[in-house]
Amino acid sequence: MQASTQLAVHIRAVTKTFGTGEAAVRALKGVDFDARQGELLMIVGPSGCGKTTLLSVIAGTLDFEAGEVEVFGSSLHGMKPREVTEFRKRHVGFIFQQFNLIPTLTLIENVCVPLLINGTGWRIAEQKATAILDRLGLQGRGHELPRNLSGGQQQRVAIARALVHEPRLVICDEPTSALDKDTGALIMELLRDIARHPDRTVIVVTHDNRIFKHADRLTEMEDGRVQRVHDQAGNSGENGGSSLFPPSPKLIT
Amino acid sequence: MYHLALKMLLGDRAKFVMLVGGLTFATLLMTQQAAVFFGLLTWTTSHMRNMRAKLWVVDRKVEQANELKALRDTDVNRVRSAPGVAWAVPVYMTIQSAKLADGNFKPVQLVGLDNTTLIGRPPVILQGRLEDVRLPNAVILDELGVKRLSAGRAKPLGLGDTFELNDKEARIVAICRADRHFFGYPYTYATYTQALQFAPKQRKMLSLVLAEPAPGWTLAAAASSIEAETGMKAYTEDELFWSTIWWYFRNTGIPVAFMSIILLGLIVGTTISGQTFYAFVHENLRHLGALKAMGASNGLLARMLLVQSLTVGFLGYGLGALMVTAFGRSVLARGEPPFMMPWQLPVGTFLAVMGICCLSALLGIRKVWNIEPAIVFRG
Repeated sequence: MQASTQLAVHIRAVTKTFGTGEAAVRALKGVDFDARQGELLMIVGPSGCGKTTLLSVIAGTLDFEAGEVEVFGSSLHGMKPREVTEFRKRHVGFIFQQFNLIPTLTLIENVCVPLLINGTGWRIAEQKATAILDRLGLQGRGHELPRNLSGGQQQRVAIARALVHEPRLVICDEPTSALDKDTGALIMELLRDIARHPDRTVIVVTHDNRIFKHADRLTEMEDGRVQRVHDQAGNSGENGGSSLFPPSPKLIT
Repeated sequence: MYHLALKMLLGDRAKFVMLVGGLTFATLLMTQQAAVFFGLLTWTTSHMRNMRAKLWVVDRKVEQANELKALRDTDVNRVRSAPGVAWAVPVYMTIQSAKLADGNFKPVQLVGLDNTTLIGRPPVILQGRLEDVRLPNAVILDELGVKRLSAGRAKPLGLGDTFELNDKEARIVAICRADRHFFGYPYTYATYTQALQFAPKQRKMLSLVLAEPAPGWTLAAAASSIEAETGMKAYTEDELFWSTIWWYFRNTGIPVAFMSIILLGLIVGTTISGQTFYAFVHENLRHLGALKAMGASNGLLARMLLVQSLTVGFLGYGLGALMVTAFGRSVLARGEPPFMMPWQLPVGTFLAVMGICCLSALLGIRKVWNIEPAIVFRG
């Protein structure tokens, strides 16, 4: 119980199946997974191994069949859909692969969205959005539309949107895959800084081994299960295996 | 969130214009056609507004005001003798041909009024004196008659001018304003005696009797008394109005023709609006899914879609109503086609348009309700 409260995310024996009968696909086959508060953790593995499904379960955007999922001490399993929505609204920030900024809204309006969903008034939301955009290097551009920005700038807006309501858990789905190497590195530096907050956890799903170095730990998945957990010290968990951290980069496809 | 929802919609110019345009067209079609229909129905009861009497006594087989069956001349006295009748006067109504200066003929609605009281006289005299209708060969012509019968003349017909009515000279002693006849014929008023002179002689010449109940008698009681005493049909003004309206519903294709067009407006509006709004929601599904992932409840997203849909509804309705009003003003100035827009009509159209919008929003809401927020993580 003590360990659970220190953990941001605590998952045991979670299963998830898509489809039924012969077409059924078991995406998660009894996953055990932990993420600590104040760390940047990456979930890596080949396509179809269940990374995104696991991320969706952690974020509370996807139901699971069996197992236990606790996020900041709250069990998602016992929650009603409305409570899960309320939990996401307050505690989870999202950064998507394709940014998912609403193209007809200005940057400020896009960043305001989570605050408005949480019931914050427009004036305060606008002030907070402007402040966070300024902090992320987008001073004076708040009234522009996303199409006027480069990919890296758009992802910074998406980060601003994910953080503006100060969530404890930030979920990132392939945050650098639509960006070039340098911009990707800058974005990861930003996420790294965000994760330094002791009460916050950043979980990143990625294919991009160039950004592995920014993680505190790497959770390696394969065929619906967690295979290994690597840390910066070179430890690779109970299953052993070679570390995925540099200087031994390993391209995972 | 609602102003952001509106910005999302306004940002998609093509769909926004399509939605507003579709609803404008639907409003225009439904309101304009219904107004013309109501106008036409109103024309069917123009005799009643032009003659204004509380009791209308006609042959017992008569069902509507435009199809009268002649009575015996003595029937007016039988009505007068019925208990509960304060007074009763004869009216002669017939369609006669007026000859134009260029040799053509135009039909006119000739109304013969009681010589003494002139009850049933035109509502508004614009030029001349009503009493002069008692002069020999005198007629009162309405504005439409002046316009129609002036064809082929150097200047429009005026007071003192004459024209040929059924081979007899008619002299205009007054010009009046009257409600438009259902068949579009001008109203021409004369005294009862003079009207019989203009018309070819027939065995029965009395068209109807206008009457009023005696003090202390209700309309219904007086009408029942007349019917019991004379065997004729006595309508109150209200009864004859609705009997006439329903006669046209039962016996003509006019209501079906107009209702088809009104229904078409509703279907076109619903189809365009529903399809376009659904496409808008479908294209924004990823963004709506992202909002859902961020914690927007189904209720909030449904309200956002309703705000979007009802806003285009208000705009489309407003534009459509504006166009109908412009159309109405132009046709009312010309006098045709018929046009009547009681307050219930714009209210009804407004509710129909809002219904279309709610239905359109519902299609989108159904879609959004069923999407999983996890959709945003799929490639």
